[in-house]
Amino acid sequence: MPVIKEDDLERMQRDLERALKKPIKQRSWVMLIDTRKCSGCRSCVVACISENALPPGVNYRRVSEVENGTYPEVAKVFMPFNCYHCDDPPCAKAAPKGAIQKRPDGIVILDYSRFSSREEVKKVIDSCPYGAISEDTLHFWSEGTPERAPYDGKKPSYEYGKKTLGRARVPRKCHFCVHRVDQGMLPACVVNCICGATLFGDIQDPDSLVSELMAKNITYQKDEGLPTHPRVYYLAESFDVETNLKACALCHTGTEVKPYERK
Amino acid sequence: MRANEVKGREEHPFLRLCERVMEREINRRDFLKTGAILGGSALLVSHLPYFYRSLSPAYADSPSTSSFLYDLQLPQNQIYTTCLACHANCSVKAKVLEGVVVKLDGSPYSPMNILKPLTYSAKPQQVARFDAPLCPKGQAAIQSLYDPYRIRKVLKRAGPRGSGKFITIPFEQAIREIVEGGYLFKDIGENRYIAGFREVLALRDPKVAKTLADDVKLIQQGKMTVQEFQQKHRENLSYLIDPNHPDFGPKNNQFVFMAGRIEHGRIEFSKRFVNGSAGSINWFEHTTICEQSHHIAYDRVSAAWEDGKFGKGKTHMKPDVQEAEFIIWFGTGAYEANFGVNPLSRRTSEGYASGRLKMVVVDPRMSKTASKAIKWIPIRPGTDAAFALGMIRWIFENQRYDENFLKNANSAAASQNGESSYTDATFLVRWEDNHSIKYVRASEIGLGQPQERLGKDGKPYLFDPFVVMRMGSPTPVDPLDKTHPVTGELFVDTTLQGIRIKSVLQVVKEEAFQHTIEEWAEICGISADDIRSVAKEFTSHGKKAVVEFYRGPVQHTNGFLTALVLIYLNLLIGNIDWAGGLSAGGGHWHEIGDKSGQPFPVDSLHPGKLIPFGIPLTREGVFYEKSSLFSGYPARRIWFPFSKNVYQEVIPSAYENYPYPIKILWNHMGTPAYSTPAGTEFIRMLQDTEKFPLIISTDIVVGDTTLYADYIFPDTHYLEEWGTLHLTPLITLKCSPIRQPVAYPVPEIVQVNGEEMPCSMEAVMIAIAHMLGLSGFGEGGFSPEFPLKRPEDYYLKLMANLAYGDGPGEELPDADEEEMELFVRARKHLPPAVFHPEKWQKAVGEKLWRKVVFLLNRGGRFEDASKAYSGEKLEHKFGKLLRFFIEEVSSAKNSITGHPFPPIGTYQPISHSDGSPVSYPDYPFLLISYKDVFSTQSRTVNNYWTQLNFKPENFVEIHTSDAVHLGLHDGDMVRVISPVNEKGQVDLHNGQIMDLLVRVKVSEGIRPGVVAISHHYGHWAYGASDILIDGKLIKGDPRRKTGISPNPLMLRDKKIPHTCLADPIGGSASFYDTPVKLLKG
Repeated sequence: MPVIKEDDLERMQRDLERALKKPIKQRSWVMLIDTRKCSGCRSCVVACISENALPPGVNYRRVSEVENGTYPEVAKVFMPFNCYHCDDPPCAKAAPKGAIQKRPDGIVILDYSRFSSREEVKKVIDSCPYGAISEDTLHFWSEGTPERAPYDGKKPSYEYGKKTLGRARVPRKCHFCVHRVDQGMLPACVVNCICGATLFGDIQDPDSLVSELMAKNITYQKDEGLPTHPRVYYLAESFDVETNLKACALCHTGTEVKPYERK
Repeated sequence: MRANEVKGREEHPFLRLCERVMEREINRRDFLKTGAILGGSALLVSHLPYFYRSLSPAYADSPSTSSFLYDLQLPQNQIYTTCLACHANCSVKAKVLEGVVVKLDGSPYSPMNILKPLTYSAKPQQVARFDAPLCPKGQAAIQSLYDPYRIRKVLKRAGPRGSGKFITIPFEQAIREIVEGGYLFKDIGENRYIAGFREVLALRDPKVAKTLADDVKLIQQGKMTVQEFQQKHRENLSYLIDPNHPDFGPKNNQFVFMAGRIEHGRIEFSKRFVNGSAGSINWFEHTTICEQSHHIAYDRVSAAWEDGKFGKGKTHMKPDVQEAEFIIWFGTGAYEANFGVNPLSRRTSEGYASGRLKMVVVDPRMSKTASKAIKWIPIRPGTDAAFALGMIRWIFENQRYDENFLKNANSAAASQNGESSYTDATFLVRWEDNHSIKYVRASEIGLGQPQERLGKDGKPYLFDPFVVMRMGSPTPVDPLDKTHPVTGELFVDTTLQGIRIKSVLQVVKEEAFQHTIEEWAEICGISADDIRSVAKEFTSHGKKAVVEFYRGPVQHTNGFLTALVLIYLNLLIGNIDWAGGLSAGGGHWHEIGDKSGQPFPVDSLHPGKLIPFGIPLTREGVFYEKSSLFSGYPARRIWFPFSKNVYQEVIPSAYENYPYPIKILWNHMGTPAYSTPAGTEFIRMLQDTEKFPLIISTDIVVGDTTLYADYIFPDTHYLEEWGTLHLTPLITLKCSPIRQPVAYPVPEIVQVNGEEMPCSMEAVMIAIAHMLGLSGFGEGGFSPEFPLKRPEDYYLKLMANLAYGDGPGEELPDADEEEMELFVRARKHLPPAVFHPEKWQKAVGEKLWRKVVFLLNRGGRFEDASKAYSGEKLEHKFGKLLRFFIEEVSSAKNSITGHPFPPIGTYQPISHSDGSPVSYPDYPFLLISYKDVFSTQSRTVNNYWTQLNFKPENFVEIHTSDAVHLGLHDGDMVRVISPVNEKGQVDLHNGQIMDLLVRVKVSEGIRPGVVAISHHYGHWAYGASDILIDGKLIKGDPRRKTGISPNPLMLRDKKIPHTCLADPIGGSASFYDTPVKLLKG
């Protein structure tokens, strides 16, 4: 008899709570994006903007959409993308000392207060081979309307576990919603992915959903031959990998993408 | 009144609790008190540091989050409600901080949001940290709640209609003016008398209304003449619009209420006012510009056979996407629009990725769903029925239909053969000529006399059985018989007692055999092999294949007949009620209180209720031939005996005074001029103050149509209001999501009869009723014990009915102390005009109050996930007769041509109302439209995060080969013109002209010869243009004015003035039948 299956979110919530019981050094967060499931709705993007009070021009998460093929054998490919939380992040090297750090659980975090010049900001933005970092140019969504809307400034940001209304011309990027993760909640893009395509969990836990899916399926990464070691993996059918990578490349012009080989 | 001023609180521990919590309330009224639209000051937002040096010192801390508390995870900062970004009704967990709604996520209690909802009894405290998905438009609704262009106070026109000049006036004054009427616009030079509600709502006596209504019915039945009526009712003729046409009904019908988007809860509330209190028959919503022919077709197919006649059916059925193996999406999909994108996406992606689900998409545009399909079939628009008939032919030729299902002629036979529903496939029909066919009844062929039976209402009726052929002999059948199985032969074509007789399935088969598969394929412009392969795949998954469609195939002039053919595909494989098959849905608990034992039967708790009567303005639900206007064919405008809510006809019918003139138009949360095909034609009509003496509107902004109103009353946003929602049948569990106030209301708080409430549709109705002493509202509105003086007096009774359940033993548990406290704490930011604990409790009584809190704390009532399936079938089954043959339609006539409607679902070429083909050889492209996943209709242009972020303007999408032919490239600007809009412009009749100039997007993902323009763009109001309020200029935001709307291009009917093409049976407005031309530059 058919039954309604448990939602992956419930499983991932358990995985998360289990991981948080371990010391931080024994956790290793990864994001797995199942491109088979993604429909390019950009719910993740809105969730991110809304959760992190992002202003216009600051994109932590993007979804590229590429049309492939010729009529009538044609399809669209959707490729979500955010900071890859590289294990060897070029941005950390480009940043002022201590401004960008790698947490023991893999999350790459920023300390906005360590930036003191536009040059520093620019250097960090340029250092990312994936274009994951953008500058806060201090704009608001409701600029040019009769009044400043409450979602533009009334809503605090909780980034990096600090409740603030402050804004500054700093580099900004995805932080895996560390303020949620540390409190036992999945990242905003993960919970709001209506297709269930964005998955998150502890790769060091063999029982986690992400570990299970990575063991069973073909995954690949966009590492460009750089020793960056990203923490975001893409899952695809073997026959889709090529088109997906093409889509990736189209979005990140001039860069090359290689399938990930599991060690 | 504040909670701590409440008298007698000592008696109620709950109220003491409220007091405790509310004492801690910080007054958050400041931030929304006034707004620019009022000419007041802007919102008080924190002054933000603009330089990195002014950052909070907290940033200097080490990067650790251990001592941090994330406010949004706290249950007291969360209220569960139901989304209204689209109409799907996903559940929302709204997060509120210091009175401001800061984040919207999905609720894990609802199967709309996640596959398997959390246990319903789980406490909100336990699930506070578990968020569920919500689609992009749902999440962005914060931006429509806090749209800087929202209106706070009543606006009264201060210049010609459409001039954009308004003044703000007090609510009380506005109500007085619309009720009393008079020379309301004398100060701006309009020296005309306007009848107010007092005069228009002439008939107030329910007894008089009933006798008039009864006798009008007799006239329609031919049992009374107009003269006899006039004689009998000579003292009451003054109540009528026209004593020579008593069937027009009372003058009250000259008050017309038309709603764009209105949902359950508000539907019932507004009908209580419009029908029961104001006595007008003219309550409409927008359904025909949505998917009405789909609804009418399913409704007729599933019409309940009861008491010897066919009654109401289910308007909507959907695939059980959870278990389906194969779905054909005709003109719709899982990932954009449809019903709704949240649950469809989750189930479809899971099915696709796991390899369970294969899909085919039949659509001229390659949708997101088509990207995941095994086959995209780029069909010629308007020919879906031809494709389906080709499939049906193949299915018959190869005997791939489910005989075991189709042979069952009654309930008993279905059970015997492992089915729950059954069809009329084997029923015999008289085939005298190929129209006006009828079911054969037993008495007609000497199988006994009609039997007298007792109906549900206790009245006797005559039952004359249907007949099937069984082993060569005609056999009577009672479809409802549960004990004597009757099966019949599928294909019968014979003569009995001189009457040519066929089985229904035989008629369907002959229809499919009208053409070869090659010919059907030729009509739809695709290959015959595609038809064959799709038919083969469709019939290779047993019961786990489904044909799904919604708006695409039916918003054509052939909509109803196309819908029937598409439904036939489901009937032929007998997938109804099966896991992975066609679902009639899990249903809902009944909020109206009409189930046994429910505490508040609100419809009957209406002392002095009027029974509205007369022909609706749109001539829906009535036969032209039975009206006093019948004078042969063609009728002046189409009559729609089988449809309802024929939205596109409201304004032009009033303008044409057909059937009668109107006096007051109330446009609620709707924008007919923007949303209707050729709707910009309405602008000119709405400016005619003779034809539309008084236009009032309820809207959250000055919208594209409310711009032309005389009075605009601010309405509540969905995060400020109530609702009792019903879900898509995609959801196979029984669910009753509810909507409740979450946000501090943006509209001003008004006073009516001593009660405070936010200005809203409800407040206007309560105020009009109060001023006129209309029934059903005010003191004694429900009963001597229960008044209806504020919205909660009504809506909480619906909540109490849901909490009680559909019968004894279904009551929800009481909320415990902890939950009671949480309930109050989560609402501490709401003003007493909204959240007034004492009044809320009083509205339902002490006994039910804690159950209601249990319901509100979870955003509704949701069945446990274990109740979805029972064996290989769905637990919630349709379990009744389904019809291929719609007898009542087959025996009716088209009011324009006078020809009978076709006897069976079929393909008909697109035509004008007189049957002449739509053919404009000079216009090479067929225009279609679609909705982006992040947008809804007209209401998302304020969503800066989504619509204006992801797609700042829309495009005309065109196939590469067509673009090459025209020398067009991506990004080129073109003007789009059509046979009815040769200039490619929209005249706003206020001195402004909008050019239909749009950029080209070249794509392989569209059928050559077809161009697509998405909805949501090309606004001229809704914050897109400057307006003047109290003499102050409110600048429009140019970001909202980008792109074009396809609607102003759409064809108008050749014969019927001022209206788009329409389906004469289902009533749907045609959206996809207009040819256009693209002009460079």
